[in-house]
Amino acid sequence: MSETTAQRRVPRRAAWLVIIVAAAALLVFGTVREGGPLTQQDRIDAVTKRIACPTCDGESVYVSRASAAESIRAEVARQVGDGVRTDDEIVAYVAERFGGQVLLVPRATGLDAVVWILPPLFTAVLLGALWLAFRRWRAPSVATATRRPLLVALALVVVVGVGGGVLVARQSGQRLPLETLTGGIEDSTASLLAQARLASGTDVASAIELYDRVLVTDPDNVEAITYRAWLVMLSARQFDDDLQRQAYGASVAAFGRALELEPSYVDALCFLGIVVFRDGGDAESSREFLTRCLAGAPPAEVKGLVESLLGEVEAALG
Amino acid sequence: MKAARLGAIVAALVLAALVAVLIVSDGDGDVGARSPLLGQPAPAVSTTTIDDQPFALARRKGSWVVLNFFNSTCVPCIAEHPSLVEFARGESSRVDGVELYTVVNDDADDAVRDFFTSNGGDWPKLRDADGAIAVAFGVAKVPETWIIDPNGFVRLRIIGQLASGVLESQMTRLRETSES
Repeated sequence: MSETTAQRRVPRRAAWLVIIVAAAALLVFGTVREGGPLTQQDRIDAVTKRIACPTCDGESVYVSRASAAESIRAEVARQVGDGVRTDDEIVAYVAERFGGQVLLVPRATGLDAVVWILPPLFTAVLLGALWLAFRRWRAPSVATATRRPLLVALALVVVVGVGGGVLVARQSGQRLPLETLTGGIEDSTASLLAQARLASGTDVASAIELYDRVLVTDPDNVEAITYRAWLVMLSARQFDDDLQRQAYGASVAAFGRALELEPSYVDALCFLGIVVFRDGGDAESSREFLTRCLAGAPPAEVKGLVESLLGEVEAALG
Repeated sequence: MKAARLGAIVAALVLAALVAVLIVSDGDGDVGARSPLLGQPAPAVSTTTIDDQPFALARRKGSWVVLNFFNSTCVPCIAEHPSLVEFARGESSRVDGVELYTVVNDDADDAVRDFFTSNGGDWPKLRDADGAIAVAFGVAKVPETWIIDPNGFVRLRIIGQLASGVLESQMTRLRETSES
C-alpha cells in the first residue's frame, strides 16, 4: 500500500465516521424529541388516522363513514376533550377493545417489531455488502489476506442494523395497552371498584381500603362513598357504643353526600334506611327511605336486604 | 455435507411440529368469542333507557347482567329476537334471574319501540347515541351479546346471531362455575 493511498483513506474514513455519527444522532434525536402542541382537532385527526375501521377494508377511522368508525371517532373526540389520556393511550384503548388488527401502525413489540427492525437491518446489510464488494474489487488481495476485519465489519453492520431498527421501532411503533405510562384512570377506578365489590363479602378491611384508593383519585365517586360508609358501619357494630355513635354519624353524613352528588343513587337511600333503623332506632324515617329505595330498582343484593328489613320496620311502627 | 443433513433434519422437525400443532389445536369451536375484557371488570357504562330512566352498569352488581347490542334493521338481530324473548321469560321465574338489557346501536328510539311492541320483550333498552358503549366493549357489528357476573366481571362474549337455547345453556354453565 503506497503512502498516498493511505493518506487518502484517512479523510475518507473520517467522512464515513461523520456520516455514521450524524445518522445515529438524528435517529436518537428523532426518538427522544417531543412533538409540538396540537389543537384538539389535530389530535383527533392524528389519532383516527392511526386506527383502522373495524368493519371496512383498508380504511382508517379518519376517512370511513361506517357506523363503527363513527363511534370510534366520537370516542376519540371525547377522550381528547377529557384530556386525561395521551394519543398513544387513546389508540391503545381502542386496540384493547377491538384487537390489534385495528392498528394501522404496527406495534413496536413482539413479532410486530420485525416490521420495524427488518428494513434498517436490510439497508445496513446491503450497504455493508456493497462496501465489501467495492473493497474486494479495488484490492482483491485484501479480502483473502485477513478475515478479522471482515468479521468486525459484519458485526458492525448487524449492530447498526438492529440498533437502527430498534430506534425506529421505538419512535414509530404503537404502544401496547399495558405499556401506557400512566395507566387508564377510568379503567383503574373500575378495576378498584370491582375488586372492592368482590372483597366486601369476605374481607371488609381490604374492601374499605380499596374504596379509599378510589376516593383518592375520584373523591366524588358515589359508589365508593356509599359502600365505604356501609362497610365502616357494619365493622363498627363489633365495637363499643362510643365508636358506633361516631361511625353512625359519619355514615349518615356519607350517605347524605352521595345523595347530594347523585340524587337518583338508590343504594345510598337503601343503606340510609337500614342504618337509620338498625343503628339509629328511627323506624319512621327508615320506612320512608326504604320505600323510596325499593321504588328506585336497587341492585339485587341490596334489594334482598331491604325487603327483609321493611317487614321489621313495619312491625316496629305497629 | 453434515451441516446440510443437520439443516434438513431441523427443517423437517419444525415442519412436523407445525403440523402437530395444527392437528391438536381445537380452533375456535366454542360459543364464546375472544376479548381482552373477558375476566376483567366490565367497562363503566352510564346512560339512559329509551324511556329516559338512568342506567349505570356498576349499580347492577349482585345480578347477572346480559347486554344485547341491537339494531332494529339488522337481520340477525331480528332473527335472534324470539330466542331472547324466550330466555327473558325463563329468567323471570328465577330468584337470581338475569337482568337483560338491549343496547341500541345506531337506531332511533321510536324504531326500537315499534320493534319491541310488534315482537315482544319488555326489558329495558339502553341508548348508546354516540356509540360509547359499543366502543367500550369493542362491538363493531351487531348483534353481539355479553354476560357480566354479579361482581361486575365480564364472563362471556357471543358475536353474531344467538342460536335458540344458547344463552340458557351458557348461563347454566356460568352459574355452576361461579358456585363451585
